[in-house]
Amino acid sequence: MPRFVQENARPAFMSIALHGLIVAALILAADFSMRKPQAEDQPLPVTATVVDSRIVRAALTAKQDAARAAAQQQAAKQLQAEKQIQAQKELEAEKQREAQQQRELAQQREAQQQLQARQQLEAQQQREVQKQREVAQQLEARQQHVAREHQRVLEAQAAAAAAKRAAATAAAKRALQAAAAKRLAAAKRAAAAQADLRRQIAAEEHAQQVASGPLADQYRAALQNRIMHAWIKPAAARAGIDCLVEVTQVPGGEVTNARVTKCNGDDAVRQSIENAVYRASPLPEPPDPSLFDRKLVLEFKPDE
Amino acid sequence: MNKRLLLLAAPLWILIAGITAAPPAWPEFLVQITRGQDTAIPIAIVPFAVPPGASTFDVAGLVGHDLDGSGRFKSMDRKDMIGQPHTGAEIAFDDWRRLNSDYILVGRLARPAPNAYDIVYELYNVLTRQRLLGYQIHTDSAGLRLASHQIADMVYQSITGIRGAFATHIAYVSVLGHVPHRTYQLVVADADGANPHVVMQSSQPLMSPAWSPHGRRIAYVSFEDHLPSIYVQYLKTGARRRVSATAGVNQAPAWSPDGKRLAVTLSDRAGNLDIYILDLATGALTRVTHDPGIDTEAQWSNDGRSLYFTSDRDGGPQIFQKSLGAGGRPRRLTFDGSYNARPRLSPDESQLALVTREHGDYRIATLDLKHGAGMRVLTKGRFDVSPSFAPNGAEIIYATRSAGRGVLALVSTDGRVQQTLMSTVGEVQEPAWGPFQGND
Repeated sequence: MPRFVQENARPAFMSIALHGLIVAALILAADFSMRKPQAEDQPLPVTATVVDSRIVRAALTAKQDAARAAAQQQAAKQLQAEKQIQAQKELEAEKQREAQQQRELAQQREAQQQLQARQQLEAQQQREVQKQREVAQQLEARQQHVAREHQRVLEAQAAAAAAKRAAATAAAKRALQAAAAKRLAAAKRAAAAQADLRRQIAAEEHAQQVASGPLADQYRAALQNRIMHAWIKPAAARAGIDCLVEVTQVPGGEVTNARVTKCNGDDAVRQSIENAVYRASPLPEPPDPSLFDRKLVLEFKPDE
Repeated sequence: MNKRLLLLAAPLWILIAGITAAPPAWPEFLVQITRGQDTAIPIAIVPFAVPPGASTFDVAGLVGHDLDGSGRFKSMDRKDMIGQPHTGAEIAFDDWRRLNSDYILVGRLARPAPNAYDIVYELYNVLTRQRLLGYQIHTDSAGLRLASHQIADMVYQSITGIRGAFATHIAYVSVLGHVPHRTYQLVVADADGANPHVVMQSSQPLMSPAWSPHGRRIAYVSFEDHLPSIYVQYLKTGARRRVSATAGVNQAPAWSPDGKRLAVTLSDRAGNLDIYILDLATGALTRVTHDPGIDTEAQWSNDGRSLYFTSDRDGGPQIFQKSLGAGGRPRRLTFDGSYNARPRLSPDESQLALVTREHGDYRIATLDLKHGAGMRVLTKGRFDVSPSFAPNGAEIIYATRSAGRGVLALVSTDGRVQQTLMSTVGEVQEPAWGPFQGND
């Protein structure tokens, strides 16, 4: 209830204020209706005098008329007052009905809220019960799992122990084998290294032999011949000219680059030399593959 | 493992190192090239693009003609060309290389005005794909011929390293008609014989034209007064002056390097020919030779301090050199054969061109002045005379006879190429090759 008031403070205040106003108005209205008739209701003073009958009659008649009129007036006033009272009563009744209605509405709301709260509480309780049930189930499941695990570990330990015993013997065996293999491999590698080295030395010796032997001279002569035929000697390339050109070739003899490095000739001489190398491409293949080198140095040194 | 191999290998490596030493960055296998070919350089000269309605003058054709004529180039036959690129971007280098063309010249003509031409040309090395030249020449239709020679000059220089002389001029004497109605003409023409202009004409003999060092004047001998006189004539204006008309012989004028003096051959009263130096400003004469024999055909050394000349003081005509200023006897330079005359000095002063007699035939030879290599006969005609070096020293022009007519011929200084200039008319004698243009 106080929560209801708190929640509906504004309408409640308004309602109370309205009621106050109505009561005040009623009091005021009652005051007026009470006072006025008091002044009217005061009995007229009667003074008996000897008078003509007619006059008396007339006076009487007049008096009666006046009394009648006053009575009528009084009646009208009473009617009015009654009407007012009646209206007041109706208004009051109306107010009471409204208040009643309000109260009923509030009661209904409160009942509704209480119902909801109850329902929520019940739902909450149900959920908690459910939760407890689930926790219990989980606990049970975990316990079962732990039990199973424990069982498995015990079994595995037993199996491992057995395997370990078997492995120990196997490992001992393998270790023996591996040691033997290692010794063999090392021996093999050493032998291979020796063989490689022997081959290398042989190749070097071969290359040396070839490089200083007749095959090299043959290759040199072939290169000379090809390039001399390709060199269109410019007028400025006379005796005294000495130019080096670095040549890059690929297997097959195709020249991929020719670059004059050290040269005491002019641009025409340099250009003629580079052109000679390109014109000579592909260069002759060496009579022995060991003579092939991607890089060659040619020296252009005209003897006349 | 690697460590073990290294340890194992170490002593052996030391052994190997002892044999081979450290491997060099470039191999020691070195090939020496001591000789080359004297063949012509193959070049493709692609016909230049020409705008519609423009001159049909064949610029590329003339460039090719010039280069081929030098003997140092062999231009590709047009019908062998696989395409006609006109810009560097259009050149398919691999294709041109397959055609064994070392160089390629491409170009195009634009005609910005009815009689104005812009020639744009580019020279590429096909083997290295480098652009060697890229120029534009602005000219008119009358200038297309000169422009072509200039392009040939640039190509020639770019590839051979030698300045081209195609855009230079020659002078020669042409004899027309027969006695007694002969006409002698002094003609100046392009180096290839084209564009001949008669600069002097006479009914009496004209001889020995000689270019001044800057090519603005020509000295020559004229018999127009029935006696020989030496004249100097300005080519531009035609204005001329008789500079020597002494009694007797006045012949063989030769310009000093500064262009202020002429070496001339004059005769004394006894008819003895000697060489004198004539100061053109003052007319003063200085005698150079004092010999009872014939001394003539003087030629100045480049420093102007000595003269080469022909003298028969030892019997037959031979070439001598005499220092100016100092006394002393002239030094004889030729000893091969009984006749060596008309010395002409090469521009680099390394050799003399001369006329030598071989088995009764007159031929052009060169005499080495630097290394004492002696004389080398270049021509094989029967009457090859009057040699004159091109200003680049690469060629010698001379007079010869062909089909009974006197004509001009060219021989490369190395003797490799000869060609005859048939474009001349009349009986042509005494050619003189002028200096480079633009030296004025």
